[in-house]
Amino acid sequence: MKISLNWLKDYVQLDASVEEIKRAITFLGFEVEQVISTGAPQLSNVVVGEILTRARHPNADKLSVCTVDVGPAGGVKTIVCGAHNCDAGNRVLVALPGAVLPGNFAIKLSKIRGQASEGMMCSPDEIGMGSDHSGLLILESKLTLGTPMNDALPPGDTVFDIEITPNRPDALCHLGIARELAAWFKLPLRYPEETFTGGIDDSTTGSQRPDLLRNVRVEAPEDCPLYSAHVIAGIKIGPSPAWMQERLKAVGLRPINNVVDVGNYVMLETGQPMHAFDARKLGGNEIVVRRAAEGEKITTLDGKERTLTSKMLVIADATKPVVVAGIMGGENSGVSDDTTDLVLECAFFKRQSVRATSKALGLSSDSSYRYERGVDPHGTLEAAYRAIDLILATAGGRVVSPVFKVGGDVPWQREIVVTHDYITEKIGFDIPAPAMRAAFEALELIVTREQPTEHPNRGVAWTVSVPSWRDDLDRPIDLVEEVLRLHGTEKIPPATVSAPGLVADDAPIVRFNRDVTDYLVGHDFHECVNYTLRPAAELAGWTSANAATGLALANPFVEDQSHLRPTLIAGLLESLKLNQSRGVAVTRLFETGRIFVERDGEPLECAAVGFILAEPVHDRAWLKRETPDFYTTKHHVFALAEAAGIDLGRQALTPVAAAHPGWQVGQAAAAGDLSHGWLAHFGLVNLALVKSLGIEGRVYGGTFAILPAKLASEGTRRRYSDFSLLPAAWRDLALVVDLATPAADVQKAVAKAARAAVGNAFALEKVAVFDVYQGKGLPEGKKSLAFNLVFRSAERTLTDDEVNAAFARIQKDVTADGSMAVRT
Amino acid sequence: MQAQLTAIVAKAATDLAAINTRPEFEAAKARYVGPNGELTALMKQMGAVPKEQRPVVGKLINEAKAQVQSQLDAALNRIANAELAAQLGPAVDVTLPAPDGGPGTRHPLTLVREEMCRILRKVGFTVADGPEVETEYYCFDALNTPSDHPARDAQDTFYFPTNARFGNVAKMNPEERYLLRTHTSSVQIRTMLQGQPPIRIVSPGRVYRRDTTDATHSANFHQLECLYVDKNVTVRDLKALLDYIFASLLGKDTKTRFRPHYFGYTEPSFEVDLTAHHLPKVKKEWIEIGGCGMVDPTVFAGVGYDPEVWSGYAFGMGLERLAMLLYGIDDIRYFYQNDLRFLKQFA
Repeated sequence: MKISLNWLKDYVQLDASVEEIKRAITFLGFEVEQVISTGAPQLSNVVVGEILTRARHPNADKLSVCTVDVGPAGGVKTIVCGAHNCDAGNRVLVALPGAVLPGNFAIKLSKIRGQASEGMMCSPDEIGMGSDHSGLLILESKLTLGTPMNDALPPGDTVFDIEITPNRPDALCHLGIARELAAWFKLPLRYPEETFTGGIDDSTTGSQRPDLLRNVRVEAPEDCPLYSAHVIAGIKIGPSPAWMQERLKAVGLRPINNVVDVGNYVMLETGQPMHAFDARKLGGNEIVVRRAAEGEKITTLDGKERTLTSKMLVIADATKPVVVAGIMGGENSGVSDDTTDLVLECAFFKRQSVRATSKALGLSSDSSYRYERGVDPHGTLEAAYRAIDLILATAGGRVVSPVFKVGGDVPWQREIVVTHDYITEKIGFDIPAPAMRAAFEALELIVTREQPTEHPNRGVAWTVSVPSWRDDLDRPIDLVEEVLRLHGTEKIPPATVSAPGLVADDAPIVRFNRDVTDYLVGHDFHECVNYTLRPAAELAGWTSANAATGLALANPFVEDQSHLRPTLIAGLLESLKLNQSRGVAVTRLFETGRIFVERDGEPLECAAVGFILAEPVHDRAWLKRETPDFYTTKHHVFALAEAAGIDLGRQALTPVAAAHPGWQVGQAAAAGDLSHGWLAHFGLVNLALVKSLGIEGRVYGGTFAILPAKLASEGTRRRYSDFSLLPAAWRDLALVVDLATPAADVQKAVAKAARAAVGNAFALEKVAVFDVYQGKGLPEGKKSLAFNLVFRSAERTLTDDEVNAAFARIQKDVTADGSMAVRT
Repeated sequence: MQAQLTAIVAKAATDLAAINTRPEFEAAKARYVGPNGELTALMKQMGAVPKEQRPVVGKLINEAKAQVQSQLDAALNRIANAELAAQLGPAVDVTLPAPDGGPGTRHPLTLVREEMCRILRKVGFTVADGPEVETEYYCFDALNTPSDHPARDAQDTFYFPTNARFGNVAKMNPEERYLLRTHTSSVQIRTMLQGQPPIRIVSPGRVYRRDTTDATHSANFHQLECLYVDKNVTVRDLKALLDYIFASLLGKDTKTRFRPHYFGYTEPSFEVDLTAHHLPKVKKEWIEIGGCGMVDPTVFAGVGYDPEVWSGYAFGMGLERLAMLLYGIDDIRYFYQNDLRFLKQFA
């Protein structure tokens, strides 16, 4: 909101500099977004002069040579000028040699195209008054020649553009800000004097005009606790006085006419919105404050037709709505140039009602802005009186009816008891009791009682009466802020942090993220951060259509950020694509973050980590390395799961289902599901998907996701198990099996047979695949898997005989059902 | 015999110098010092040497034996060295780059977050976490933000349809809607509801605002919040924490100041400005960096803490903004593009 310094000075004698006032506003709790100075800057050697003659420059078509009389400041000067309006007889501002104009532009004696020039005649922008460069600034009044510029021009103003926090509607006006500044600078606050006080002169009783407004009825008192209407007859619409126009313009309002301007002026002065009707246009000469009929229409002052609902409050005449209450008047009832009789509305509307209507109509105004935040419930009539004073003074007329006042004063009585000790306890440093009391009183918080507390050490207790415009003050803690504001929050004394120990640890999810990040960064991955909100089309690759519905926002802001992400891979592919298209070589990216995965038709928020390994494209490396493959991703995903306490080695891995749009069938695997609380995918990213994204080369990837609740806060302590120091015996066993048989099944069978074979005599230490073969020498549809079996005893060195016996039995057992044969 | 010994030593010297492989070496060794070797044969003749000459002859034999042995050792050493040398390729060019890329990098937002968490851990804060999909209760109601507050508008906050369900985000009441949290303050509520004071947490995380993306705005961004609840916590303590945080992060020449402000969940409330002469974007200006205040008694009452007993403060700030200030980044969108030339600059 814009606040004019000149205007403020009506209410408080501010002698402080603009900088000091800006600082005061800032530390009172209102952010100053901008300080705008209007009017001319202080400039010396710029004086009033009169153009005596104008002749064409002999050497330039567009220039003139003028003689200019600057009176006692130097007599008649010859000046070359390029402006179109340097006509003889005009009084202008002349910058004489020695003047320094804004932009550090020094004026000197000079020659312009061979013609001597003894100064410069100025356009508004050249003397720092706005941006008008269309011609010379022509002075309208006949000022004495030679008068210094700053004496000739009206003094400027300083306008503060201030952000008012929503808790302080009382500060949405000049009096409100003046009250704060008066408190800050310890100066008295002067309220405007009011002449009209509500009564009408007995002598005028005979000339009352009951015909202009017969009746005011409020049908919705819950939304409009107080409605007042004053009737003024015999006014003349015209422009408002220059001083009022000046102020309205300074704070960004366009002057309209004397009546409308007064309404705006008083609103900007007191914070109370009001509305003036042309009495003739009120059908039936009555006012009804009621809910609109469903579908009722009104064309508001901005020229738009609005359709109302039965929840919206309107001011209506006998037949039609004339104002959307507290928000905007209708085109049909406002003041026009030929208006002579007025009805001035000044009312207290409930904030919730105005806010709901404003929101539903998408219509807001200076008035609704104030009502939504709350106006002073006791300021209604005062503001009306002030406006009547100004209307009578600027538009003439007289008040021709007693006030129509419907509803009572909104009850207001609020007292807060607070002790010196309480405030000290909250702020943590000393402010003397008298200073605290002074702070209250400076803000017009009246201390009605001061007494020692029952407990002698708790200092005095104040009973503080809160004025009706400070609805934000309700509890002792609210007064702590008032004391601190006026003391100055810059003066909070420094201290050291006291940190008594707490028995607590970081959340498990925090540790999980840190561990997987450490792992992947340690394996040369670059961490990415992608948006959580993704386009609908992208989701198709990673989740079912049904599940995608559950991830949709009700009110997306842009179309390509409409759904929660079900995977991190899509974002990483986007990052990969961006780098490729910018010619930046990237192979390893990862991200940690939340993803949303369906279980039983409901999405669940999961902690997740995902990575991609892209084949280097246009690889210019001088030394080739092995490219990643499925097993690289398996290795990484196992490590990431381990960080969450999940041993994937003990979990079933399944090839991804046919036609998975995200992962490549035959080249990728899945493990777990959310009924276990976690899931993993890894392998080759679907080739068609990668191609459709315009990514070059193949991309491998992996993800691991887990429900936050599943992450244990404490890992279980590992127990040491003893190991043998005696030598091992090992045997290799190659088995021929069907091509489709998973290696893990064969390994399990071998391990089972081996354990049975060794019994309690000694131990099977390890069974591991060391060779996979298919092709020449093997039947069609078969492959050979070779296992290394390691045996060891804790008590003795094993003999060949016992190991051979066991090995023979293993071979017999695993081949017993005919599904596998020993390769010879 | 002496002549024989000299001849053997000389012959061995020539012989062994020509040996290049282990089999050759073994054969040569057998020829001289093996059971049937030449030197061994001479030693066997010692029995025939007269008793008085034996010391002299013995000495000669020992000398010859030592010489042959030393030649053998030298030959073996030469062979072993040759074998090692055979394992090597040509000398490497140490100036060629490692072809493996890397090292990996942490995102600048992670770096800033971790640094803040480290600083706060030193003064007893632990890192807390909460869901990004939230309900109106945790995001607004419990934080003293009434239902008609503008911050709750669908214009500013992302909501889910009324029938949306999130299996692991429980609602406080059945009517409330799911939304994307607009601040990490919801974690404060969850933490306070789950535990008992004293509490000292820092909650970094992702938050969402319905905003046009431009150089300083992003549909999602990250915040970091501190909450401290204990007995007798004061405004001065809050100021001390802020001074400590930013002096630790930015250096001793950093100053902070409070400006009164308004937040629904703190009273009194402040905006925090900082200045640090050495930061190129800051210099002597005061830069707004976050908001803070004393936890409003209403918030305590809502989570069942007695406001007469407990007091506390909360502080929150944007991590992108802090990272932009620290590193001199001028466009928030760079954080979300993941251009490797950007990512590599910070680790």
